[in-house]
Amino acid sequence: MTTTAISPEAKPAPATTPKRRPKREREGAAWVFLSPWVLGATVLTLLPMAVSLYLSFTDYDLFNPPKWVGLRNYVQMFTEDPRYWRSVVTTVTYVVIAVPLQLALALAVALALKGMKRGKGFYRSAFYAPSLLGASMSIALVWRAVFNDGGTVDNLFGTGGWVNKPGFALLAVALLTVWQFGAPMVIFLAGLQQIPAELYEAAAVDGASKWRQFLSVTVPMLSPVLFFNLVLQTIQAFQVFTPAFAVSAGKGGPADSTLVYTMYLYDRGFVASHMGYASAMAWVLLVVIGIVTAVLFRTSRSWVFYASEGDR
Amino acid sequence: MPGHRTKGFCASAAALALCAVLAGCSGPGETVGGGKVVLRYTWWGNPDRAERTEQAVAMFEKQHPNIDVTTSFSGYDAYKQKLATQAAGGDAPDVMQLDYRQIDQYASGGVLLDLAQQKSVLRTSEIDQGLLATGRVDDVQYAVPQGRGTETVAYDVETWKRSGVPLPGESWTWSQWADTMRALAKKTGKPGATDPGQSEDAFEVWLRGRGKALYTEDGRLGFTAGDLTRWWTFTDKLRREGAVSPAEQTTQLDGSVENTPLGRGTSVTDANWDAPASGFLALVPTGVALAPMPSGEDGTPGQYFKPSMFLGVSANTGHPKEAAQLVDFMINDRQAAKILGASRGIPVNETIRDAVGPELKDFDKTIADFQTSLDGKLKDPPQAPPSGDNALQSTFQRDYDQVSYARMSPREAAENYVTEAKAELRS
Repeated sequence: MTTTAISPEAKPAPATTPKRRPKREREGAAWVFLSPWVLGATVLTLLPMAVSLYLSFTDYDLFNPPKWVGLRNYVQMFTEDPRYWRSVVTTVTYVVIAVPLQLALALAVALALKGMKRGKGFYRSAFYAPSLLGASMSIALVWRAVFNDGGTVDNLFGTGGWVNKPGFALLAVALLTVWQFGAPMVIFLAGLQQIPAELYEAAAVDGASKWRQFLSVTVPMLSPVLFFNLVLQTIQAFQVFTPAFAVSAGKGGPADSTLVYTMYLYDRGFVASHMGYASAMAWVLLVVIGIVTAVLFRTSRSWVFYASEGDR
Repeated sequence: MPGHRTKGFCASAAALALCAVLAGCSGPGETVGGGKVVLRYTWWGNPDRAERTEQAVAMFEKQHPNIDVTTSFSGYDAYKQKLATQAAGGDAPDVMQLDYRQIDQYASGGVLLDLAQQKSVLRTSEIDQGLLATGRVDDVQYAVPQGRGTETVAYDVETWKRSGVPLPGESWTWSQWADTMRALAKKTGKPGATDPGQSEDAFEVWLRGRGKALYTEDGRLGFTAGDLTRWWTFTDKLRREGAVSPAEQTTQLDGSVENTPLGRGTSVTDANWDAPASGFLALVPTGVALAPMPSGEDGTPGQYFKPSMFLGVSANTGHPKEAAQLVDFMINDRQAAKILGASRGIPVNETIRDAVGPELKDFDKTIADFQTSLDGKLKDPPQAPPSGDNALQSTFQRDYDQVSYARMSPREAAENYVTEAKAELRS
């Protein structure tokens, strides 16, 4: 509450106002209001994170007390575990397929919605619906049924069961993510509406085609929003779990083709009871996501355009 | 916001938080209002087993009005993961069904109660002593087997008969079995069997038929990459010929009979444990019969009588006596035995086995007759597998997936598995 100093009633002599309570007491109240969050963050996030960092240096099988093994988990991960590297490759493949597809679809739909005169609200909600539903287990299970042999896709196109074909299973998982393009779409839509109409008018007067307008007006003006969506979706995609788990019936199969990073982490932790190893994997993932995000930010300087800096 | 409301808000927030904490803390064996003891009892199995277990539990509750039993069950794969997580959190169910492969890990991890402490209510004198011993780790009785099971080749009788291929006899070798599967595939147009390459259990039978074992007595790997290469080359060839199920179907196996090729009507036979095979009846209504597992080429039997489905009591239970009473009831009560039949294998209590045996009907009788036909022919069961085996079962499936999808040669996959298994058993 730093704005009190400029509030009108405080003008005469702020220090002697009897109504205002001392700063310390107000801070206390702030902590009281924050306490549910602070409690939640400490007990449910920070503490478990600290414990998992500790466990990552131990051999812990859930049943016996953890044994300190130093860096062994990390060494094993990088040098002795071919399945770990396969899961890394699978995850990167997934990110590279799912994120661009999802963003492209979200942008395309946002563009189509922007030009609509009537029923915009309805379609916006309709396209957003999968994002609300998609996170649920039940939809993921339906997805498995749809792409299984004898499922809808098989019957319509005679493709066979995608979920049982190593070359296609990951694509089925990625499509489930792509289908949930609602959140980036809404953000794109908001970004599109911010672009001043004069720019398009000026471009049109100069004889720019629609495509030219898209490339030279829409894309640069939208680039901060595009960047925001890219970072957010990339971070999420690296952590994908539910679709891969449900679509592969919890196994990451067939032939490890949907064994994404978090699935293998789950497998090590809860199936093989190597919690120490799983914790180490989680920390490596955290660091890698941090690095990828930093790289994205670094490259953003060359392609993200902020209107406020336009004069430089 | 006025001060007094803040206070009220804090109080209610604190109360809310406390509620959440309390709700999260309801541990095993709590007592609810009215002085009733509540026990949690969990198992894995098919719907048939679930229905019979519920009936038996209801009878137990009638006999013990002060005890309330809450039950839950699921398929084996899911059960295994959930139980491990619960046990790690100190929240294992009061009474839990355990597999032979889990005993070592759970006992050495301090999850299980020493049942000798409850000798007064849990009688073990009538149990087959050899089977009873399989529930001991370091000479402590941590669990009691509920039944005796063995593997079997369950087959769709009608389809087999119509194919004109001679029905299986009292015994067959692996190569005779393979020829039969080829003949069945040729005549019926669908694979003869589930690809056995994915099953650690089937591999064990094959291995024992050659005089080897999965594990040595000191818990190391009992076979070489060469042995596994030979097994996977054998099954890989059968799969390529279409004699056993294709990769797309094999990969859908999840421990339930519903997702086996036989259960889905896409093969003629399935190698499975005898007790869960009862689940096939609902899926193949024209009839299912049981044949023995193939033996080694010189006739050495590979299959064995395995103590199936142990019952253990949580070391953290608040009501050890009542939990032991439930275990006693499930194993030693004659009425319960009648209801349960052979849904968990043939009863281990010898008095009950003799008394209930002749009264068994339908598929229970099929299982009992099947086991009788093998009595005296099989070799001793191996000792309980080391704890690492729990994780290796799924590793085995995974590595074979690489073979059946032709992404690795049998040799590559076998070498991978042996490396992984050695690391697993070391840790």
